[in-house]
Amino acid sequence: MKVWEYILRRLLLAVLVIFGVSVVTFFIARVVPSDPAALWVGPRPSPDQIAAARVKLGLDRPLYIQYFYYLGNLLRGDLGVSIKTHQPIVRDLRAYLPATLELVLVGMAMAVFIGIPLGVLSAARRNRFLDHFSRLVAVAAVSIPTFWLGLLLQLIFFGQLRWLPIGGRVSIETTLYHPIQTITGFYLIDTLVTRNWPAFRDALAHIILPAFTLATYAIGLTIRMTRSTMVEVLQEKYIVAARAAGLSERTILFRLALKNAIVPTLTVLALSFVYSLTGAILVEVIFSWPGLGSYVTSAIINVDFPVIIAVTLVVTVFYVLINLVLDLVQVVLDPRVVLK
Amino acid sequence: MLFQRTFPALIVLVALAVLLSLVGCRPSTPTPAAGETPAPPKENVAVYAHPTSFPDIDPSVSYSNDSAVVSNLYETLVWYNPPMHPQLLRPGLAERWESNADATEWTFYLRKGVKFHDGTFLNAQAVKYSIERTINMGMGASYIWDPVEEITVVDDYTVRFKLKYPAPLDLIAASGYGSWIFSPACVEAQGDKASEWFNEGHDCGSGPYTIESYERGRRLVITRFDDYWGGWKPGQFTKVVFEVVEDPTVRQQMIEAGTADVTYDIPRANLAALDARPDVVVYTNPAFQNLVGLLNVRKPPLDNKLVRQAISYAFPYDRFIQTVVSGYAVQSHGPVPLGMWGHSDQLFQYTYNLDKARELLAQAGYPNGGFKLVMTHVAGDLDERQVGEVWKAELAKLGIDLEVRGMAWEAQWDLGKSDPMQAQDIFVMYWWPDYVSPYSFLYSMFHCEEETLFNLGYYCNPQYDELIDRANALSGSNRAEAERLFIEAQKILIDDAVAVFFYDLVNTHAVRADIKGYVDNPAYPHVVFFYELSR
Repeated sequence: MKVWEYILRRLLLAVLVIFGVSVVTFFIARVVPSDPAALWVGPRPSPDQIAAARVKLGLDRPLYIQYFYYLGNLLRGDLGVSIKTHQPIVRDLRAYLPATLELVLVGMAMAVFIGIPLGVLSAARRNRFLDHFSRLVAVAAVSIPTFWLGLLLQLIFFGQLRWLPIGGRVSIETTLYHPIQTITGFYLIDTLVTRNWPAFRDALAHIILPAFTLATYAIGLTIRMTRSTMVEVLQEKYIVAARAAGLSERTILFRLALKNAIVPTLTVLALSFVYSLTGAILVEVIFSWPGLGSYVTSAIINVDFPVIIAVTLVVTVFYVLINLVLDLVQVVLDPRVVLK
Repeated sequence: MLFQRTFPALIVLVALAVLLSLVGCRPSTPTPAAGETPAPPKENVAVYAHPTSFPDIDPSVSYSNDSAVVSNLYETLVWYNPPMHPQLLRPGLAERWESNADATEWTFYLRKGVKFHDGTFLNAQAVKYSIERTINMGMGASYIWDPVEEITVVDDYTVRFKLKYPAPLDLIAASGYGSWIFSPACVEAQGDKASEWFNEGHDCGSGPYTIESYERGRRLVITRFDDYWGGWKPGQFTKVVFEVVEDPTVRQQMIEAGTADVTYDIPRANLAALDARPDVVVYTNPAFQNLVGLLNVRKPPLDNKLVRQAISYAFPYDRFIQTVVSGYAVQSHGPVPLGMWGHSDQLFQYTYNLDKARELLAQAGYPNGGFKLVMTHVAGDLDERQVGEVWKAELAKLGIDLEVRGMAWEAQWDLGKSDPMQAQDIFVMYWWPDYVSPYSFLYSMFHCEEETLFNLGYYCNPQYDELIDRANALSGSNRAEAERLFIEAQKILIDDAVAVFFYDLVNTHAVRADIKGYVDNPAYPHVVFFYELSR
């Protein structure tokens, strides 16, 4: 099958998946015991206020009619209004999603640039010091509770050393004296594009600790997965042949062996990425990072079902797209993989 | 080979280089190049590390922690004074006010020369517009204006309220929710998108500060309004940053490091050590908020007053307050909290007395207990859960099995609003006033209801209802008599043991020691009026 045909087919399937997810989450949110009309009004709603809110929100209509209205809005790109904040969810997502994406992408980059090299070298120097060290690091990384690690890093790097900020995306000084012009919502990119160097340095300093905290588990996984697959690949006959032919160890490790060993690691990283979109909640709370995790957690606590449904759909879209990209990357890396 | 050996070291070196380049990285005020205008002087900035974000900063809708922000942007006609102040109220945008004999008509005389942030001036029309907008939107605390039948602009600086029934409109107008006055022109300019516009980070107030920037869920900056009618003195803050910091440990670190100037909701176990620091002061004051366990008076066995009284004697009030809440609470004297008008220290308090409890149970026909009760509370609230756990242990000594059920608020409330015979036996929740009147406590939780809302013990006593309704009618015209009646009403509740009044909360705020002028005002929970502070 041609690549474009494959992509089209997968995208059509994705539409079906998203539709199914919207149906399931919509109806589940409606059957959970709650009163969205009361939440809409405020903490002390009177019966009259609740009745008026029920009409305003269309909750007096049959459930299937409510769903069709919802679907119609969805097709127009309208994800609805938050029952708690009364604000368009799209606008909230524009604020929270880039913050989380930036955090997760930097975290994944750390996982890639720390985890993969360590995994490769660990496999190459099996049962020697570096291997033992890497495996210890990997076990520690997947075992340490995220919140504990975050607090510890804050204590050391902020509390004791004052090297890095305690939390937030940028400092108050940046907000007051070097305000960031929002273009993409990714502060590292926006400050680079506008050449706001003080703000760039500040944004970079702020993202290090939360991204590293978030990346720790992925680093551990990546080291283990890469080492494991590299060990297998390094025993292949073509590697022996390459060594015999006199190729450099760097070429053998990073151009021959890694290319064939990397696919499972990429799969794990991709799944970690999607999971972190909402799974970063603990990191976001500890580092006061205004992201999707804390946004949806607050929505769950308040049974703010439009937000819950919207975030579920967003994560579903990412999941589908990431899997599509992963499948295409596999084809590039491994010619044995066929699209069908 | 060389690469293999050096690669790990290279990675470490690069990482360290990046880290060291950012060490102590704090962007500085830009140094102007030759010929450029010098940078403005550094602002006098206060930072409020706030534990929650701000759901809605529309002044007609705000009814949550967003009042911390809103109270610095807008003003009310009247302000409620902190406890211990000789006067209950003080002028706000109204210089003076009066009512007719039965408090069915109120007239407010407005301050002249008050400018809104959009440059227009306060007048009676703005007051009428603001309150009518709040009423018409029908959200948040708009119901506090229910007594209002008509608002009349008498002249530019006089506005008259005609009420459907007597009510303390001065107290209502002093509420920290739903009583803000704003510029009509500013709101009208936004059309039907005004609410969205407010929540994008704008305001239409007359207060000492105006919004400068707003990063949702993260940071809101307000800046001094130079034309504020109250004027400015040296040392007052020119900017205030509301920093959303959900983790209490992080807030504590910030206040200790001086990167935050004010915060609250610090772990109680850490407060003493924090207060002992020379650079931090912990202010402890009564809050107008209490923790109540409403008893289901319709469902056996709690339909029996003797059983209700018995379980009221089974809670270890003092021990709980000293050990679990670390002394940061006061046992309630009835439903009206300490510090509020209508509170009385003379009201009867149940004490921990298991012998008395057994005696009452025996009189009620349950000498060995032998029944089960279900107590619901908000899941995630540690104090509520611990109340349940402690009470469970004590009730077990009486042969009573208490199931402590943590639920999401929505589910807990839903259950409470259902058939009383199927609902919980004990509904635990906090209460605080929408405007500062005992009526808020006594009506909402104990007045007869056709459709259950917050009377989640399902108590209905016409004699009690008549008493508090009469008291409320007198609240505006004869406050002393109203207070006497409210106290009489509370005696009925306590004698009927319709609820367990666990304790009145105490507010604790940590403030940097170099900040002057901080006074906690429980009428405006966790609001810091930064205009009154200086450094």
